[in-house]
Parts: sequence; structure tokens; C-alpha cells
Amino acid sequence: MIEIEQLYKNYGSHEVLKNLTLSIPAHQVVAVIGPSGSGKSTFLRCINGLEKITAGKITVNGHEIDAKAPKKVLQKAVYAIRQETGMVFQQFNLYPHKTVVANVMEALLVVKKMQKDQAHQIASNLLKRVGLSEKEDSYPSQLSGGQQQRVAIARALAMEPQLMLFDEPTSALDPELVGEVLKVMKSLAEEGMTMMIVTHEMNFAENVADRVLFMADGVIVEDAEPKAFFEHPQTARAQQFLQQVNEF
Amino acid sequence: MDLVIENIPFLLKGAYYTLLITVVSMFFGLIIGLLAAIARIKGNRFLRNIARVYVSIIRGTPPLVQLVIVYYGLVDYGIELGPLTAAYIALSINIGAYVSEAFRGAIQSVPKGQTEAALATGMTEKQALRRIIIPQAIRYAIPPLGNTFVGMLKETSLVSVIAVTELMRSAQLLVAQYYVYMPFYLSIGIMYWVMSTIFTFILNKIEKRLSVY
Repeated sequence: MIEIEQLYKNYGSHEVLKNLTLSIPAHQVVAVIGPSGSGKSTFLRCINGLEKITAGKITVNGHEIDAKAPKKVLQKAVYAIRQETGMVFQQFNLYPHKTVVANVMEALLVVKKMQKDQAHQIASNLLKRVGLSEKEDSYPSQLSGGQQQRVAIARALAMEPQLMLFDEPTSALDPELVGEVLKVMKSLAEEGMTMMIVTHEMNFAENVADRVLFMADGVIVEDAEPKAFFEHPQTARAQQFLQQVNEF
Repeated sequence: MDLVIENIPFLLKGAYYTLLITVVSMFFGLIIGLLAAIARIKGNRFLRNIARVYVSIIRGTPPLVQLVIVYYGLVDYGIELGPLTAAYIALSINIGAYVSEAFRGAIQSVPKGQTEAALATGMTEKQALRRIIIPQAIRYAIPPLGNTFVGMLKETSLVSVIAVTELMRSAQLLVAQYYVYMPFYLSIGIMYWVMSTIFTFILNKIEKRLSVY
């Protein structure tokens, strides 16, 4: 599903990602964890081309982002990947000037050029799925953070993605609203969606993910099954991180 | 006071021209301004620089100078414009620069996450700009555009120097005729103020209308 070869990215003299190489098979749920500034979010954003990579290669579903490719070829691959990939942001980024259902319909209308009633049908079904049928005609500002994030997930699912990227989806939420979002994500995982999740929710990573990537300073320090990682972290860096997380 | 009442039709005709010049200049200014703003944000280097120089020159020179260049200056090159046409052209170009700054600020104040969210669903940059960014930017642009609009209304008094009989010049003509100053200047002051207030009121309504969310 995803092949990453020697992915490198820097901002000037600051190296954010240092030659990452890994592959992620379809239907795998990958939790990316690590201290802030370790490059987790940047890594995720490279996969759908929101960040330009400096060197290396990313292949998603056969579409190749090669740092050396000409701009036109690169752009084409990025558009192809984005149409098959959904992304959920920390700050939700719902369109505030559109109703909930219009948020979900937008890409269907603009990118897929779908008829309005057909798009509305799809959007309604997705909102039902995330438990927000009664909010269709509300504006995002009238929703709680947890509800907004569930709409954002529905919006991402509208394009029928084969891969879902979650960039700290619960970090901006009040603690009591985290559960409802994680529940929707868990149900997606159970349906076999390929997912990459940058998260600070260690319990979620341990119980829902199939695989944990622990990143620090732009490097994948550990790549393991959740149980093994949380019970027996191999490196001093990971041990220290888990200890800090569990301190209180 | 009787003099003013006697000459009200004349003053109202002046007010009509003031309004006409304001609305026409604002209309073309909005078009010029939106194009200049998009050129500055999304254009290539050439377009960006043209737009930047345009804004810099207009903002850095007095509107009165711009007006006399268009009306008197162009005559040297065989371009003779009627006073009203010259007023439209000079003020549209002038207002366009301020409008472009208002739009540019508005477009930039739409959070970056909005573009990213749109791009992540597969939209092109253009689609994101048209469907997601500009609709939000228009709302942000209303207050500064309102200021520009009211500023324009007052700036039209400058065109009295090129013999357009708008409100200011109407008063000057009456002053010359009757040799009294205060009643006429006070009346037009009140008329400017009333027009500005009405504009502001309408703009507030529009702003409220747009901020349903």
C-alpha cells in the first residue's frame, strides 16, 4: 500500500526526516508516536504531498512521489494520492461557511463532479455512520470539538479513500470528547481501513493499532507490535519517552 | 438658512454626482482590486511585481496629484478626457489599490488549514481558492472595504478642482454667488455625514448577512 524509500526532508539546516525507509501493507493500522518535534506530523503530511520532500521516494497505491521527478509528474501523483487518501487534522479544519452536510459533499461536487442529490445521499449516510444525522444543517461553529472532528472524518471518508491519515486527531479536544472520536476511528480500523495515526493516546495505540512506529529526531527509532513496544521497549530513547508519558 | 433651502435642489444635484462618482469608482475599483490581490498572492513573479508597484505608487502619492495627472497631464499626450470621465478613471485606479490591500489581507487571514483541508480532499489550488478561500475572505474584507468606501465618498470632494460639479463644488459656486460661507459648507458637511452614515449602515447589514455561521 505504502512504500517509503530513503525519505529525507529538511528546512534549511534543520533536518526533519532523516532517510526513512519502510513499507505499510493494506489494512494495517499504524500508530506513529514520539516526542513533539520528532517529525511525526511532517512525515504524515509528506505522504499526501502537503509537505514537499527533499529527497527519496514515496509510493502510495502505485502513485509515486519522487523528489527527483519533474514538477508536473510530481503534481499529478500528488493529486492522484490525495483523491485516494483521506486526512483528518488536529484543528478539524472544517469549512466554517458551509453546513455540516455541505462540508462532506464539497469534494464530491468539486473533485468528483457528482450530482447534488447523489452527493447528498452519500454525505447523509456518512453522517449517520459517525452519529451526527441530526446535525446535517448545522454550521461547524455550532458543534462541539468532538462532533466537529467526527464531521471531519465523514468528510474524509466521502471520497472513499483507501488510506486514512490522522494527524493528532484528538489533541485539540477536551478530555471527555476524545472517546467519541476514538470510537469512530476504532470502527474504521475494524472494517479494515488502512490507517496512519499520529497520536498521543497511548491506550488507543496499544489496543487498536497493529503496529507502532516510535519516532525521535526525524528517525524511526522503534518499529514494533504494540504489545511488544509498550511492554518491552528496546531502546533507551523509547524507555525514557514511555516513562515520561506515564509519570503521573 | 433661507439661502440654503432655496438652493437645496442645486445642492442635491451635487450630492447626486458625489454618489455617482463614488459608486462608479468603487465598482471598477473592486474589480481592479480583486485582480490585483489575486495577482499579488497567486501570480507569477512578473504579475506580482506589477501589482506591487501599482499599489505602492498609488498609496504613495496624493489622490489630488493622481487626479490632475489624469485630467491635465494626459492632455500633453493628446488624451483629452471629460472631467467626469477623468474623475472615474483616476478614482477607480486609486481605490483599486486600497481594495487590493483589503482583499489581500482578507485572503491571508483565512487560516492555512482551510487550504490544506481542501487540497487533502483532492481539490486543485484554483478550486480551493474559489470554493473555500475567497468566500471566507469576502467576509473578512467587508469592514476594511467599508472604510475604503466611506473614504472614497469623502475623497470625491477633490474632483471639484477639475470642475465636476459635485457636492463640494456646488457649495463653492453658491458661496461665490452669495458671499456667505458657513451655511453652505455646513449643509454639505451634513450631507456628507448623512451619506456616510447610510453607507456604513448598509455595510453593517451586509456583514451581518454574511456572518450566519
